[in-house]
Amino acid sequence: MGPRLREDDAERMTSDPIRLTVNGTNHSIAAAPDTPLLYILRNDLELNGPKFGCGLGECGACTVIVDGVAARSCVLPLSACAGRSVTTLEGLGSRERPDPLQAAFVQHQAAQCGYCLNGMIMTAKALLLRNPHPSEQEIKQALRYNLCRCGTHVEILAAVMTAAGHHVARDHTAGGAADATH
Amino acid sequence: MRRTDAADPDMTTTPDAGSLSIIRSTPDDATGSGFDIYIAIDASGQVFAYNGHVDLGTGIRTALTQIVAEELDVALDRVTMVLGDTTKTPNQGPTIASETIQITAVPLRNAAAQARHYLLARAAEQLDQPADSLTIEDGLIRAQSNHSVSYAELVAGGIVRLELRDDVALKDVNSYKLVGRAIPRLEIPAMTTGEMIYVHDVRVPGMLHGRVVRPPYAGVDAGDFVGTSLIAVDERSVADIPGLIAVVHIGDFVGVVTDREENAIRAAAQLKLTWKPTPTLPDLKDIATALRANPSTPRTLRDTGDVDAALANAATPMSRTYVWPYHIHGSIGPSCSVADYTDGGLRVWTGSQNPHNLRADLAKLMALPEAQIDVIRLEAAGCYGRNGADDVSADAALLSRAVGRSVRVQLTREQEHAWDPKGTGQLMEVNGGLDASGHPAAYDFATRYPSNAAPTLALLLTGAVPPVAATLQMGDRTAIPPYDYPAMRVTVHDMAPIVRASWFRGVSALPNSFAHESYIDELATEAGVDPVEYRLRYLKDERAARLVRDVAERAKWEPRPTWTPKEADGDVVRGRGFAYAVYVHGTFPGKAAAWSAWVADVAVNKATGDVAVTHVTVGQDSGLVINPDGVRHQIHGNVIQSTSRALMEEVTFEPSAVASREWGGYPIITFPEVPKIDVVIVERQDQPPLGVGESASVPSAAAIANAIFDATGVRFRELPFTPDRIRAGLLAAEEKAKPASPLKKRRLLAGLATFCTAVVGLIVAASPWRPAIAPITPPDVATYSAATIARGAQLAALGDCAVCHTADGGIVNAGGRALETPFGTVIATNITPDVETGIGAWSFPAFERAMRQGIHRDGRHLYPAFPYNHFAKTSEADLQALYAYLMAQPPVRQTNPETKLPFPLNLRPLLAGWNLLFHSPAAFAADPAKSEVWNRGAYLVEGLGHCRACHTPRNALGAEKASLKLAGGIAEGWTAPPLTALSHAPIPWNEQELFTYLRSGISQFHGVAAGPMAPVVKELSALPDSDIRAMATYLASFNPNAPTHEAQQAMAARLETITSAKPLNASQQGARIYDGACAVCHEPGGPQWFGSRPSLALNSNLHGASPDNLARVIVEGITQPVNGDLGAMPGFAHSLNDQQLTELIRYLRTRFAPDKPAWDGIDTALKAARGTIK
Ligand code: FES
Ligand code: FES
Repeated sequence: MGPRLREDDAERMTSDPIRLTVNGTNHSIAAAPDTPLLYILRNDLELNGPKFGCGLGECGACTVIVDGVAARSCVLPLSACAGRSVTTLEGLGSRERPDPLQAAFVQHQAAQCGYCLNGMIMTAKALLLRNPHPSEQEIKQALRYNLCRCGTHVEILAAVMTAAGHHVARDHTAGGAADATH
Repeated sequence: MRRTDAADPDMTTTPDAGSLSIIRSTPDDATGSGFDIYIAIDASGQVFAYNGHVDLGTGIRTALTQIVAEELDVALDRVTMVLGDTTKTPNQGPTIASETIQITAVPLRNAAAQARHYLLARAAEQLDQPADSLTIEDGLIRAQSNHSVSYAELVAGGIVRLELRDDVALKDVNSYKLVGRAIPRLEIPAMTTGEMIYVHDVRVPGMLHGRVVRPPYAGVDAGDFVGTSLIAVDERSVADIPGLIAVVHIGDFVGVVTDREENAIRAAAQLKLTWKPTPTLPDLKDIATALRANPSTPRTLRDTGDVDAALANAATPMSRTYVWPYHIHGSIGPSCSVADYTDGGLRVWTGSQNPHNLRADLAKLMALPEAQIDVIRLEAAGCYGRNGADDVSADAALLSRAVGRSVRVQLTREQEHAWDPKGTGQLMEVNGGLDASGHPAAYDFATRYPSNAAPTLALLLTGAVPPVAATLQMGDRTAIPPYDYPAMRVTVHDMAPIVRASWFRGVSALPNSFAHESYIDELATEAGVDPVEYRLRYLKDERAARLVRDVAERAKWEPRPTWTPKEADGDVVRGRGFAYAVYVHGTFPGKAAAWSAWVADVAVNKATGDVAVTHVTVGQDSGLVINPDGVRHQIHGNVIQSTSRALMEEVTFEPSAVASREWGGYPIITFPEVPKIDVVIVERQDQPPLGVGESASVPSAAAIANAIFDATGVRFRELPFTPDRIRAGLLAAEEKAKPASPLKKRRLLAGLATFCTAVVGLIVAASPWRPAIAPITPPDVATYSAATIARGAQLAALGDCAVCHTADGGIVNAGGRALETPFGTVIATNITPDVETGIGAWSFPAFERAMRQGIHRDGRHLYPAFPYNHFAKTSEADLQALYAYLMAQPPVRQTNPETKLPFPLNLRPLLAGWNLLFHSPAAFAADPAKSEVWNRGAYLVEGLGHCRACHTPRNALGAEKASLKLAGGIAEGWTAPPLTALSHAPIPWNEQELFTYLRSGISQFHGVAAGPMAPVVKELSALPDSDIRAMATYLASFNPNAPTHEAQQAMAARLETITSAKPLNASQQGARIYDGACAVCHEPGGPQWFGSRPSLALNSNLHGASPDNLARVIVEGITQPVNGDLGAMPGFAHSLNDQQLTELIRYLRTRFAPDKPAWDGIDTALKAARGTIK
């Protein structure tokens, strides 16, 4: 009566290695195609930038950029990345040559524990790629689903605002402004 | 890898070169080293400083470095801070109570000063100058003669150990060069580039991956069932997991170890365990009742004046109850640890806040002497109290011991949420009131704080420690109010926890201050005095009073002796509230950390109940400020986190466990909700430094409650201030609340009985026996052209052959897949050309007979799970091509289990009767009145494509109802929606959308292909556009009034607009879960992500007659999308419980299909959906 395959079981173990580019380097990965990209990046490629936070796409800690767009690598199957170009935090810049956004995070001391930082930077970077000068509201909307438990929001916002070309006061009096109408 | 510290500062590695260390002898220390080092300077002039506390993400490492470098007069980069490494640092207890700078840094600072004095004295001798004439710059001591000697030179050649003194002279504050400056934190550059090594990033050669499986009593750690509830472990349930190394269980401790992390995750999810039922918890929805009922011992902290008499004589008696909910620490990174148990020793990399206590716990757990355990502390995700860091370290140790290799374990989000020792619910009751002249008459305060030190979980689960809840006296933090009440009694009811609970930022001081600071506001209102002025009347602490005045002034506080209704801006009213507190920590009476005061501004939407904290002016007197940026950032963090706690945080419970297991069920603050923050730092560089890690949290809840009162005139005494609570409170203030509506159950159809009766009647009517067709040797595939085989491949894709005939993880077309049908499980057969186990011996006539009549080569009837009634329509040429393709594939020898249906369905001859009734083997006949494209589409859809097999309702005998062709059916428990005008889709399909959907797996106006439709679309990718177009043309013809694309766009815009707001009548809990778990990808206009962001307002499933598909998608997720462009969706089976899912589904229906009736049968749909999860 027409029953069908359960999609999450398809092709496991029977498939060929999957090719993708990470931070400009080509890789061929032999792993189950439904493996979330996060584990490939962290364990196979030993990239520490993307972090596990929830595995449900809720917190943003695992964010990477796939073909220029932010992606939550904890819920993105490896198979969906075949032939694509992935950029992780490491691919943006290094301590010696930071991306301007990374430099802005340092400038504003935008970290407490820093665990959420990968997601904040990569999500903001994806925003800046499509809109180099977002407004404060646009930045907040873009980061609204990136969670930070330490409460570093003020400094993070200041860093992204700086990278977006806004002038931000040294003591971070900018930021905030919630309203009951949201 | 031995150490992840930047350098190994072990002084014993170069004993000959010389060193100076400041030590404290520890003759009784169990580990036998005999002393702790505080400061060591090596012969190169490098300084190593040791502190038993750790950096929890607060910047303590940088602040301590500043203190040491300042007292020693060296540059910052000469100092390496070593924190919380059990073999190297002194045991200074857990990093709690904001004590690091205030308390544990004191000996460090003394040690640095002592080293400087010593070196200065040595230099004076060497340079032959009086010590007070020398100057020091970055470790170089210079005489006025310009002769100089460096620390390195002074240290070289001898090992000097000095016993730490605490009477050394410290530097004059006015000469400070480093302390008091905003030195950038040392770790931040590495954090921004991924170069920072957190405990999550530790990799040891040969390391395996483990996951634990926790018992069903999630978040409960006391009671005789703890550690004794596991009945059975079914190791076969994970036999198919690749790379499985071990399943480990000791008592109720269960873990799995595999080679790869994703395999460990899968194994942990799949492992079948049998547990005893666990007892129900007290109802924690009603915290006040539960806490009053919890056994307790009263402890009177203060009793001054005649409280009872004062209460009896109060002119305005006021008794008030304040309730604090349970909170989760909510570290963004679930706890993680790596353990290496080899050669009888244990090394653990941990994010613990108390490495020394952890070492003692591990010694107990593993029965090892402490000296054989090395606990290495690395930076972790933010820690705000006792979270899962110690638990996971013990888990890793047990798993490593079981497999004899190093094992990394990370908790799941769900485990961290459910099992972290909660910030406990707390109950504060105040009896008091005003005397005739408006002064406070008395203050009789009682608080209940059911929390303890939360023993490390593995100790309890393995039975190493009995699961008896200890009582810890920590409810007394800031239990004494700061005001000079004439008669005062303060009682703490010490009690054991109800669920696993331990300290969380602000500990009991935060709830206690919520009560103190709300109550004094209530007194002020009652007395008709401005709340700030009223506080100052009774605040005798001068530093506190100055802070209160400074903060009020900075916020431009306008005195408001009486409350007046606020002018509304639409539905929004605004107000501001004040609160002050000092955080008292340590054993009663404790020590005060920094003083803090808040002015909170709120905007309250009276219609929706939404509260926004728009602005916070926060002031702090922290004594000497080591690093002003560090202090400001701590204040920001405290304000934001505590605002989040006050506004939205609350753990929910199932009857016997914690229910909040992810961020939808337990939302925290997001960027748009963060208030503007204005920080006032009161300069006190002449005073000792005070802890700043928690103080600014403490006034939060009261300031916000006071502001909500100011805005609305309604007093809220229970957290969190969620929209539903506020709305209910506002309504209740006017009138009484409303009843709830009951839910109806739905009946299930049972067609089996009818089927049996009918079949027995038919058995005589048809001729059930068919002859076998003789086996052949497989045909020579060389006789088929490549073009024919290629066409056959397309046809096989159209017919989804491989979808049914391939097992999970199995070889394509080799069969073995179990197909669930309403009548039982049918096992798909091997259709590779293997002679014995497949169809290699089938001639084309045998194949054709099977395809058209459902007869096996050997004459057996095939079950109509095989849709031969549709395949029969296929042309002979196409069947030839399909046959050629199948025969050209590599043969696979694979014997599959036989299909075993229950009697009488196991009698295959009965199917002859079924065929007689329901099957017409006629080939497809074109309709000359229709176009060629339409006819092509009809041929594909009705024939091999067998769309009707799923999309048409079936009768009790499992046959399609001819009169309801394509009117919607069921496939594997999913609703296959109607493809005709009966469609529930809010925007009707047209040909173009059908084409786009079949081609790409997504229609912007309907959603993505999921469930059984996903593999169908995947297979269709083999067909050319022209065939897909033909199918779309044919299907669209069932819907003659299809709208144009422009019309569809207009409808979409309208639907998205009318569903853009959260409806007031919708489930608030569902709304919160949607915001935390779904909105990230599904909220219209939300951020852009890789993959599709299906619009729920347009989604057919939300508008369907039953919630089946929605339930399935949420529970299972879409982990293998039709194609990579679509992205994927996680399943929430293990993260949300049925109650949460029900509320979520109700919310989604109300919000996104507002014109449709509420669904019945959500419970049945969820049950069915859960049944599909392994
Ligand atoms: S870990 Fe991927 S979104 Fe949370
Ligand atoms: S800085 Fe710790 S979670 Fe954001």
